[in-house]
Amino acid sequence: MLGRPDIRLVVIVAVALVAVFALPMLTSERYLLRVFTFVGVNVIIITGMALLFGYAGQVSLGHAAFYGIGAYASAFAVINLGWPWPAGVALAIVLTAAGGFLLALPSLRLKGHYLAMATLGFGEIMKVAFVEARPVTGGPDGLSGIPYPAIGPFEFDTAGLAYWLVWGVAAVALLLAYNVVRSRAGRAMRALHGSELGATACGIDITGIKVRVFVISASLAGLAGALYAHVVGFVSPSTFSLHVSVLLVAMAVLGGTGSLAGPVIATVLLTLIPYSDAVIPGLSRSALETIQEWQEDIYGLTIIAVMLFVPGGIGSLIRRMAPGRGEAR
Amino acid sequence: MGGVELLQFALAGLKNGAIYALVALGFTLVYAATGAINFAQGEFYMLGGMLSVWAYAGLGLPLPVAGLVGVALTAVVGGVFEFLAVRPRKDGDLLAIIIITVGGSMVLSSAARHLFGPLEKALPAFSGTGTVSIFGAVLEIQSLWILGLTTLAVLALWYLYNRTSLGRAMRACAVNRDAARLVGIDPRKIVTVSFVLAAALGALAGLAVTPLTQTAFDVGPSVGIKGFAAAILGGLGNPIAAVAGGIVLGMLESLSIAFISSTYKDAIALVVLLGVLFWRPQGIFGASRREKV
Amino acid sequence: MSRSLGTRMTRLIVSVCIVALTVPTFLIGCDGDRDTDGEAVRIGAVLSLTGSLAGLGEPARRAIEVEVERINDEGGVNGRPVEVLFEDDASDEARSVAAASRLIDQEGVVAIIGGSGTGQSMAMRQEIEPGEVPQVALAGGSVVTDEFSPWVFQTPWPNRVVVPFTLEHLQAEGIERLAIIAESGGYGKDGSDVTKALVDDFGIEIIAEEQFNRGDTDMTPQLTKIRAEAPDAVLMWAAGAEAATILKNNAAIGGASPMRFFGAPGNARLEFVEGAGEAAEGFVFAAGHILVPETYGVGTEAYEVATGFIDRYTERWGEGPDIFAGHAYDAIHIIVEALRRLPAEFTPADVRDEIEATSGFVSVGGTFTFSPTDHNGMTAEDLTMYIIEDGAWKPLEEVR
Repeated sequence: MLGRPDIRLVVIVAVALVAVFALPMLTSERYLLRVFTFVGVNVIIITGMALLFGYAGQVSLGHAAFYGIGAYASAFAVINLGWPWPAGVALAIVLTAAGGFLLALPSLRLKGHYLAMATLGFGEIMKVAFVEARPVTGGPDGLSGIPYPAIGPFEFDTAGLAYWLVWGVAAVALLLAYNVVRSRAGRAMRALHGSELGATACGIDITGIKVRVFVISASLAGLAGALYAHVVGFVSPSTFSLHVSVLLVAMAVLGGTGSLAGPVIATVLLTLIPYSDAVIPGLSRSALETIQEWQEDIYGLTIIAVMLFVPGGIGSLIRRMAPGRGEAR
Repeated sequence: MGGVELLQFALAGLKNGAIYALVALGFTLVYAATGAINFAQGEFYMLGGMLSVWAYAGLGLPLPVAGLVGVALTAVVGGVFEFLAVRPRKDGDLLAIIIITVGGSMVLSSAARHLFGPLEKALPAFSGTGTVSIFGAVLEIQSLWILGLTTLAVLALWYLYNRTSLGRAMRACAVNRDAARLVGIDPRKIVTVSFVLAAALGALAGLAVTPLTQTAFDVGPSVGIKGFAAAILGGLGNPIAAVAGGIVLGMLESLSIAFISSTYKDAIALVVLLGVLFWRPQGIFGASRREKV
Repeated sequence: MSRSLGTRMTRLIVSVCIVALTVPTFLIGCDGDRDTDGEAVRIGAVLSLTGSLAGLGEPARRAIEVEVERINDEGGVNGRPVEVLFEDDASDEARSVAAASRLIDQEGVVAIIGGSGTGQSMAMRQEIEPGEVPQVALAGGSVVTDEFSPWVFQTPWPNRVVVPFTLEHLQAEGIERLAIIAESGGYGKDGSDVTKALVDDFGIEIIAEEQFNRGDTDMTPQLTKIRAEAPDAVLMWAAGAEAATILKNNAAIGGASPMRFFGAPGNARLEFVEGAGEAAEGFVFAAGHILVPETYGVGTEAYEVATGFIDRYTERWGEGPDIFAGHAYDAIHIIVEALRRLPAEFTPADVRDEIEATSGFVSVGGTFTFSPTDHNGMTAEDLTMYIIEDGAWKPLEEVR
């Protein structure tokens, strides 16, 4: 559980924010900014996943599909319909919210692995759609030449600007999620994760909350997609595969339940593993190539190690060290 | 469309269904013991083929021996994986175990690439590349092997569950872990045994299919998804339901190709699966699920 | 959970992090590759060395290593050694974008080879164009050069060259009713698209079209459906292991009269021939001369180039190069030849101009001549029809 607003918490968050937003001023290396832009995109998705999994106790193996719907919707709107980028983003959010709603309704009947399978099935069906709906998606060859994000005449056309945009959106998404978590609905969601029966007994509208959380997490994934497509300038179906959905769930679980910071840290950690050369300065070429050769193993072993040695997820570690909970220091 | 062609579609569906069934059986075994889905099940399928090819082409063993070696080694890998990565997670948290198997699947497929390279490997058919004719439709002899091995696996599982004390312990454990512990069954041992058996079943499927499809380090996930879908379609936890789910899924795909479109065969099969789930949330043959707390 | 356990866990995590950080630092010490005199010409290579396209990237890396060694043994380029920096994109497009930006910004490469896949090659464009560094893609998708970029070149034979060559052959064989079986990915879609657009010119009609996915274990239903239409032949667009499965399924349901199958350069893989076994006998496909260098004409320059490469590659790696190795050979040599024509001081943009000026360059994939509108440079001259007989590919002309 998040601690009460506390001066130390505010300081930590402020320092983290300054550090994140100062990066483009400290470095002009596009590579570093690119990598951390991808991290930011994943953070936006994981914010929704953290709400869905960590607070509402639901697992979705189909969120890569929402990510993809958002990416294609925005790219299509901007390229083919000539819409401005913010309108494309709005379309991405509306479509993924609607998709999330449609998937959430029947899924309410399903529990555990059956829900996982239903969302997985949705993801796989959407993958077929991405490949076959070629007038919209460009098929397996993908959609290229997607313009940079632009608000009015202002284009986010450098790596630094794209980084700020993505992390700005990520910060807003996190703030939004933080408010949801601290609201009455948020407390209800935590109750839900503990015991549905108990929550119902307390007069909480479980159905409504489940659907709302699903819709929020789907549209956050869609939003992330709309950012990714325009930042990279190219999208193809392989970016929205089941593998990505599974890794997103892994990041949420590694982050731990009932926490926002945990999943965010897990996401930063896991997203950076393949790009370790970006964060470890002075890495030699041969060391880099060795790491790249073994990255799948490192990734897999990291997942296993965290699950074994940090049973409550990274969120539990933070709670133990969190300010405002004096006894844990 | 003629009757012979229809039969040909049915046979193809049956053959693919048998493959899915073997993989689904592995999912079901691990689910019964832990309540979790084993995302590394597809990698056991991959390893069964890869290690058999290695034993056959690399060590020069005769094919039947190489196949046994492949399946046995994969079973050992399954047991070691459980012992090193699943058992230490003492609280048995479902999602934790699932995510551990996700990590495991990445490590296993990557290890196969390190050891055997990225290219596909071939294995000869068990008893020639001939075919048998069934009312004009044909089936590869290798497909008979697949169907035969699936049947054998089901019978062996049935025997294990109903006629051996180990099997009874496994069933008791699936129903209630704590009660099983009270009567002297060690649930940890049951989990290990389940992983070993699941790995052996997956490996058996991989071994039987490799002569038709070849194998490579990355074949696991696609077959794993089909096996998972089959297990869910039938209803988790029940071996007969898993086999039925596999056959139904194979038939669905084959008939989708026959009557609708090969482009959308997977999508159609999945739409039907989703329809079934929304109609029967426990799968076609699944009993009402006990609530896991 | 008790606090003491929590503390232990924290300590464990911290120690894991320390190990994770120190191991690479240790590795820095062992680095012997980097050229210290700063004179080396740096070329980047973004390849899929892991992930689903690893089978394409690995032979490419091997070919580049062998050739760079040889180029440097012979004195490098204008007295400077050539250094190729490999980046693995793990068959992931975001990774190829990041790798390209790293190579351009941090490593200052003068050209980039890759990616291995069409998607990866396309995704890199957002870095290539503003970075003003030429890219020589190893991916065969038509889109790579059809969606023209002045900065992007491509070495594999594109389908706009392969398909007419193949259809001409089908027409000569008297085939009028053609069926297509294609994988659902980019390779299959591209192949069947170009085929469908061109069949009319050759008096051929497409009477059935079926699709399958990578990883499918059985294609009997698709083939049964095609067979019911009684085509004269089937054209297969499958580059992976499924190609062998398709031929085996066809042999099984065909019995004494299996359908005739034709393929494309993606089938020029030893694994395919071995995997399909007897079922591949009589299979006909178009590919470059490299498969049987004698088709260049013994003693010609192309023959010497190809056999020289095959010998070096085989000696180093213990097995012969496949076509993906060949595409990488083409890419590195096209770049190096362009560098040789440049003065001591040059920019990546100059390299691009010189690559575009490549004319009549004899390489293993064929003879490359680029122009401001053609960044692939392959023609039907660079292709040969092969047939599989007795478990090996042979030039069709020789057999018939």
